[in-house]
Amino acid sequence: MKPFEYRAVHSVEEAVSVLAEYGSDARILAGGTDLLIELRKQNVKTPKVVIDISFIKELRGIESPNGTVMLQSLTTHSEIVNSKVVQQYASLLTGAASVIGSPQIRNKGTVGGNIMNAATCADTVPPLIALGAKITLKSKTNSRQIDLSDLFIKPYQTKAKPEEILTEIQFPKLSSNVKSSFIKLGRRNALSISRLSVAAILTQDKNGKITDARIVPGAALPVWRRVTEAEILLIGKKPSKELFTAAGQKVSEVMISHTGRRWSTEYKEPVIATLVRRALEMCVGDLKDLKDLKDLKD
Amino acid sequence: MSTVTINTKINNRKYSLAVAPNTTLLHFLREELGLTGTKCGCEIGECGACTVLLNGEAVNSCLVLVPQIDGKEILTVEGLAKDGKLHPLQESFMDHDAVHCGFCTPGMLMSAKALLDKNPDPDEKEIRTAISGNLCRCTGYVQIVDAIKEVVK
Repeated sequence: MKPFEYRAVHSVEEAVSVLAEYGSDARILAGGTDLLIELRKQNVKTPKVVIDISFIKELRGIESPNGTVMLQSLTTHSEIVNSKVVQQYASLLTGAASVIGSPQIRNKGTVGGNIMNAATCADTVPPLIALGAKITLKSKTNSRQIDLSDLFIKPYQTKAKPEEILTEIQFPKLSSNVKSSFIKLGRRNALSISRLSVAAILTQDKNGKITDARIVPGAALPVWRRVTEAEILLIGKKPSKELFTAAGQKVSEVMISHTGRRWSTEYKEPVIATLVRRALEMCVGDLKDLKDLKDLKD
Repeated sequence: MSTVTINTKINNRKYSLAVAPNTTLLHFLREELGLTGTKCGCEIGECGACTVLLNGEAVNSCLVLVPQIDGKEILTVEGLAKDGKLHPLQESFMDHDAVHCGFCTPGMLMSAKALLDKNPDPDEKEIRTAISGNLCRCTGYVQIVDAIKEVVK
């Protein structure tokens, strides 16, 4: 690792003040599971200063004030997995956090780091966008809240200014009649990076008709977003395999309209459609666990 | 580049040291303290050979900068034995032939220790999840899982 200056900060106030001084010469160290790998690369420009925010106690924890869930940015993936609040009000996020990396990565990696690193395979982002999350970005002179879906420019690039840090993530609780799911497809079961993923949320009325649907694919589009083109197909209808298949095909079409046909499209085209269908089936209880699938063609 | 002073406890021994910040915990343990039980494998957090406990949590020491352990406690495989007696997990690994080439063993032991400290009665699925971040290229997983199960009994 090449030399750099190291500054440990112990409060948000101190962090934004040091950031104001260094701006784009600084990199923020949170969980370190991405940054340390980058710092060790030979062909990457080493930052002048690494600002270690991992000691900031006020940036840890999960609260649930007034119908919302609030995650502080340094909350680790393990803390999210073990949180009763997240399990109860945003179970798709529990699912996503539980399949990130390994136990060791989940113990260190933070939700804020997962967002700000902005890798297309970031597993917490599709559920958070489906949940309608808003994030708070703070600098020495300003504090602003934006929709998480408005943060990203392209892979590994966000609209956050160099002097800003992400402090909290907030989203409305899902009520108990709303069902959600997250499916990730990696090259193996453990320690895998998402090749594709899907976060889905479905609300049905008393008669079983779908009244609200949210579908956010991961690692499929250059920038994450809800695929409303597929969501509207579901509204007012009752769940069926045909309906969910159609929604999956629509997501696949939308993906290709964004990315064009590439070397991986032959694979991703049918797979994202199937993952969307399965994610929706999991929401309505037709599919409990992917491991129960006997025939993977299904 | 200036050094950073840290106060830490490693294997129950207190240290107050000036460290170079561009050092990983893994290299610090191995090169500075001579604690070579922690193995250096992939150095990108994929293999788990460098697993140590940081305040009781299993972490990849290759993904921790050494100044980050200031005020925290580290346990490495060297800290498992007490008064010259091996830890029950170490005994069980030997009894079950859970050590082939041995390279993954320290990391496996630390992941298993982290699990048992939190959950003294895990089922097989929980055991397999706990060691899912530790690769064994001799593929001796069955014996490793058996060894951990034996300590649970």
